[in-house]
Parts: sequence; C-alpha cells; structure tokens
Amino acid sequence: MHELKIAEDLTAIVLETAKQGNLTKVTGVNISFGQLVQIVPEIFEFAFSECVRDTLAQNASLSIEILSVRMECTICGYNFDVKENRFACNNCGSTDLKILQGKELFVKSIEGE
Amino acid sequence: MEIKIMRNILDRNQNKAEEVRMLIASKNVIMVNIISSPGAGKTTLLERTCEEFVPKLRIGVIEGDITTDRDARRLEKYNIPIVVINTEGGCHLDSHSISKVLPSFDLDLLDILFVENVGNLICPSQFDLGETFKIAVVSTTEGDDKPGKYPMLFREAKAVLLNKIDLIPYTNFSMNSFKEDLQNINGQVPLFEISCTRGDGLELWYKWMEDQIAVSR
Repeated sequence: MHELKIAEDLTAIVLETAKQGNLTKVTGVNISFGQLVQIVPEIFEFAFSECVRDTLAQNASLSIEILSVRMECTICGYNFDVKENRFACNNCGSTDLKILQGKELFVKSIEGE
Repeated sequence: MEIKIMRNILDRNQNKAEEVRMLIASKNVIMVNIISSPGAGKTTLLERTCEEFVPKLRIGVIEGDITTDRDARRLEKYNIPIVVINTEGGCHLDSHSISKVLPSFDLDLLDILFVENVGNLICPSQFDLGETFKIAVVSTTEGDDKPGKYPMLFREAKAVLLNKIDLIPYTNFSMNSFKEDLQNINGQVPLFEISCTRGDGLELWYKWMEDQIAVSR
C-alpha cells in the first residue's frame, strides 16, 4: 500500500521536472530503492502506471535499481553488506552499526524529449 | 535527453518531518511514534501508560485510525488531550497530517506526545513523522518471526515491546527464536517483555520512558 503514496510523490517530481525541462514526453524514469524499504517492484510499477495515466509521462518506462543494505561498524570501522538479515560486523562481531545504504527512495533522472 | 534529479522521492514528507521535529524539540516534548500490527496492544499499552503517568507527566495522544475513533474513546477517561487522524483507508500517518493537528495541542503544557500509528508493520516505518523516536510493539500471538520479516521497523525502533507474554502457553511462540531473530536484526535495541492486561514487565517500560524524558532535558 505504501507503494501508491510513493508513486504519487514520484509522479509529482517527474512531472515538475519535465515541465521545468520543457519536455513534451517522458520516456524513462530511473530510480533507486534500498533493500530495507521493502518495496515490491511489480506493485510499484503498477501504482506508478496508474499515477501517470493521461499525463506526459504515461508511456514512461520505469527502471528500478535495488541497493544492498550496507553498514559501517562504529567499533572497528569495517564496511560490509548485510546478508540474510544479520546485522553484525563481519570483522569484529559488534552490533553497534551505522547504516550507509539501504533506506533509499531516490529518483536519479528522467529521460524524455 | 536525460535530466538528472538525484532527489529523495519522499522529500516533501521528510522536510515537513524535520520541521515537526524542531518544533517539538523546542517545546521540550518527546514525541513517540508507536508502530505495530493491528491488535498487538498499542491502545492497551497507552491505557496502562496513562494510568501510570497521568497526572505526574503531561501526556497527549494522536490517534491514527483508518475510519473510527474507538481507540481515542478508550483514552478519554484519562482526561488528556487527544486528536484523531482518520486516514480514510491510508495505511500510515505522514508528517503533513501530524503537522496539521499539532496546533490542537498546547505543546508548552506537554511532556510526551504519543502517536498511535495505523496498525501496520511496513508502511509506517517508511514515513518519518518528525518523532523523537519510534517504538515497535509486537505480540506473542503474531508469532516469533516478525523481526526478520520486517527488518526496517526493528532497525529503526528505539525500543521493542513484546506484549501478551501471558498468552505464550497457548501459542507456539518461541522466546528463544524471537530473541535470536531480534538480535540478528538489532543487537542494540532494548526489549521489554510485557503483558498489558496482567501488568507483567510494565515497571521496566515506565522506568525506561522516564529515563528518555530525563535524557531529553
């Protein structure tokens, strides 16, 4: 369900950017999601296609990049990707961690003409 | 032609959340965003917490509810300021809805503002409300596998409350599995094992909340 709200906000950004860039048609939208946000790509694509219906982005293809969950150990400084939901430092075992990547909901660019 | 954007899709929500956070911090209020699935015991936890703290602490509540005001009515007896936000089907609260109702409270006369989010373990953890911190409430009847299924919430929560421990004998809930799962997701987060109906473990929760207030001042 949160896919719809995120798709609405994305649509607003896409249309605003297209207007500023004097595009008559948006052909592609490139976004990145962190793994932690638990977006289901198929549901998001459906929600987005509903949001852009009858707009200049109605035929835009959506390219979704999924970003791994990357943490930094605050004890030893080691950086690592979280595998199988194990949030502990691969080097020293500490659970005192800072998130570097994995919570993104990011729009990178749009393509159009 | 490609136009670079590089922007958080939810930046409208995020920017408003930062405004809310600054406002409540300037008023020395702690805002606690309570997240759980439906029926885990958020409202009963608030009832017990009000019984403990009112009038010693000045509590306000924002009730996020899809259509009714039933939860809010359960709290009326404590004579505290309560505002209901009906999301009309929406599965989470957002910072704009919080910002709109904040003027209904006199923040100078509050210590804690609890926000009872809509019952849901995924969507609410995605939308920053401007809270001071989030807490996760889970109950034993939901099963022992929730931390691994919803890692975002259990990573973000400042405390986890495991409710309905009195019902464990009637379920297949394994405390060891739950703790191992939670430890994997967030080895730093305090866990309170409670029963809101019987009262088990609540003293530690009250003490922890008092500590959070002391730390914020």
